[in-house]
Amino acid sequence: MAVSFTEVTKRFADGTTALDGLNLKFDLGEFVVLLGPSGSGKTTACRILAGLEHPSEGRIEIDGRDITNLPPRMRGIGMVFQNYALYSHKSVYENIAYPLRIRKTSPAELDRRVKDVAELLQIGSYLHRRPSQLSGGQAQRVAVARALVWEPTICLMDEPLSNLDALLRLHMRTELNRLHKRLNKTFVFVTHDQEEAMTLASRIAILKDGKLVQFDDPRTIYRRPANRFVAEFMGRPAMNTMDGMVENGVFRSGQVTCRVQCPDGPVTLGIRPEQIVLGGDEGFAMKLDVKETVEPDTLLIFTNDKGTLTVRTQRDCDDLAPGQSVNIHFPPDSLHYFDAKTGERLR
Amino acid sequence: MNRSYKILAVGVLACILVITLTPYLWMLLTSFKGRLDILSPDPRWFFTPTLDNYPAVFIDKDYLPLVLNSLIISTASTILSICIGAPAAYVFARTDFPGKEDLFFFFLTTRMAPPISIAVPLFMFFTLLGLTDTVYAVVIAHTTFNLSLVVWMMRGFFAEIPREIDEAAMMDGRSRLGAFIRVIIPMAAPGVAATAVLCFILSWNEFLYAFILVAFEGRPLTVGIPGLITPHGTLWGQVAAVAVVATLPILIFTFLVQRHLVRGLTFGAVKG
Repeated sequence: MAVSFTEVTKRFADGTTALDGLNLKFDLGEFVVLLGPSGSGKTTACRILAGLEHPSEGRIEIDGRDITNLPPRMRGIGMVFQNYALYSHKSVYENIAYPLRIRKTSPAELDRRVKDVAELLQIGSYLHRRPSQLSGGQAQRVAVARALVWEPTICLMDEPLSNLDALLRLHMRTELNRLHKRLNKTFVFVTHDQEEAMTLASRIAILKDGKLVQFDDPRTIYRRPANRFVAEFMGRPAMNTMDGMVENGVFRSGQVTCRVQCPDGPVTLGIRPEQIVLGGDEGFAMKLDVKETVEPDTLLIFTNDKGTLTVRTQRDCDDLAPGQSVNIHFPPDSLHYFDAKTGERLR
Repeated sequence: MNRSYKILAVGVLACILVITLTPYLWMLLTSFKGRLDILSPDPRWFFTPTLDNYPAVFIDKDYLPLVLNSLIISTASTILSICIGAPAAYVFARTDFPGKEDLFFFFLTTRMAPPISIAVPLFMFFTLLGLTDTVYAVVIAHTTFNLSLVVWMMRGFFAEIPREIDEAAMMDGRSRLGAFIRVIIPMAAPGVAATAVLCFILSWNEFLYAFILVAFEGRPLTVGIPGLITPHGTLWGQVAAVAVVATLPILIFTFLVQRHLVRGLTFGAVKG
């Protein structure tokens, strides 16, 4: 019971390569998030699974059945679009009912299913309205209802929350999470928002330049990023990465000096801003440049002529002022080591 | 300032109304005049009205079937133009292919040549096909100029509907063609209606091709009017009567177009 992309490549007519030999396999029932910066191919991957785009090379399979050349309607996949794509000339009820009407569902069954899914998404009282009379959040719920009402095997969502305002986005995120737990369907969700990815996904597929960089559960992505790109892409503020040399178990770069457990030679050292320890006797000193308070956290940016270091802390920083020299310590367990050339994780 | 501007605007509009409506009113009055009133050397606004002209031309001269011919020609040409033109416009609105804009411009150029320049070739083609003196010939001839209108107008209407609507329809279970016919066309209905009404009017008013292609059978009203110029003089009262009947549908349809051309009736899908 799985969906698989095998060596899927997509080249567009204008010469851009959106997907470059993508290999991805996940089980039905998962909540998979495709995450990546713009141009990484995440939307293309989603549209290829939907059948709205055809891959230049490669195969797509669901349950071992090759669906590469099937039209969208024969794939058993529903989809939610970023701009909702509701039929403006139909009522909310008819919008939701449309996939069932196409499938010639009996009137009683149709009515029952539309009302069930409307209740599930809390839009039961808007059924008689026109899409133009809905708020963004309501319209998005209708779009989700329409994608789920005919019980497709997979539900695709292409940046469904991007058009909503911040508060509503958080709310809909929770709703989607609940919906997935309740329905136990396969959700494939495209986003460029790492927070959305972290909260929703059972597994996150991080794409870069049309290739899969890492496919793991959110915790692993955060704790053991597969390479420097993932390390810097996930987490806010981004992970501190420093290029330097290890000699006799001591790492030196322009910014920092610290003891590491790593063979000698060039290496890229990484540490998350929230795992850096301030004060104490160990470590090295750096000058505080900027202090930003983001309650309850404080962001401290240290600078010297070779680079910067960002620290996120929950401790009270009232005693610190820009210009002050602060002692900084990297706990050995929190360090990430990446190959200086390829950026791949070393251990 | 604002007030004088308003007075100026009303004045200009009044002038335009007088200029455009006077001939029409004169035609309307003429259709109810007797022969003497029509031919009187000084224009007569007041006269004893008569209804004789209408039965004289539509019943005695058997012009009633011409109304039917006009209806058949205009309706058929409109339907044909929409059926061929709308899918073409949809392709222009949705897909990219080499030479697309050139081909699109070509549709416009088909209307640039003076119609008379292709009238004779058209006549020769239809003679070859044995279609001269039938409504079919006029229907096809009118489709040649209505088609470019449909392609040009409908492309804009389709382009206003987001692509995601097509895609949503396909995800919901329609084929590509099904999405176009069952979802996109109904959503573009106001545009389709406006285009259809314009096609109908253009075809209804057309004289040149109809005059060259049909002599007797299948004559529309426009071609019937010259038949009232007789060796004994022009029957102005009957000409006016035919003209009044010929302008009625146009009057009705113009008001329809006016309402349908006002945008913002649909396309609420993106705004949400």
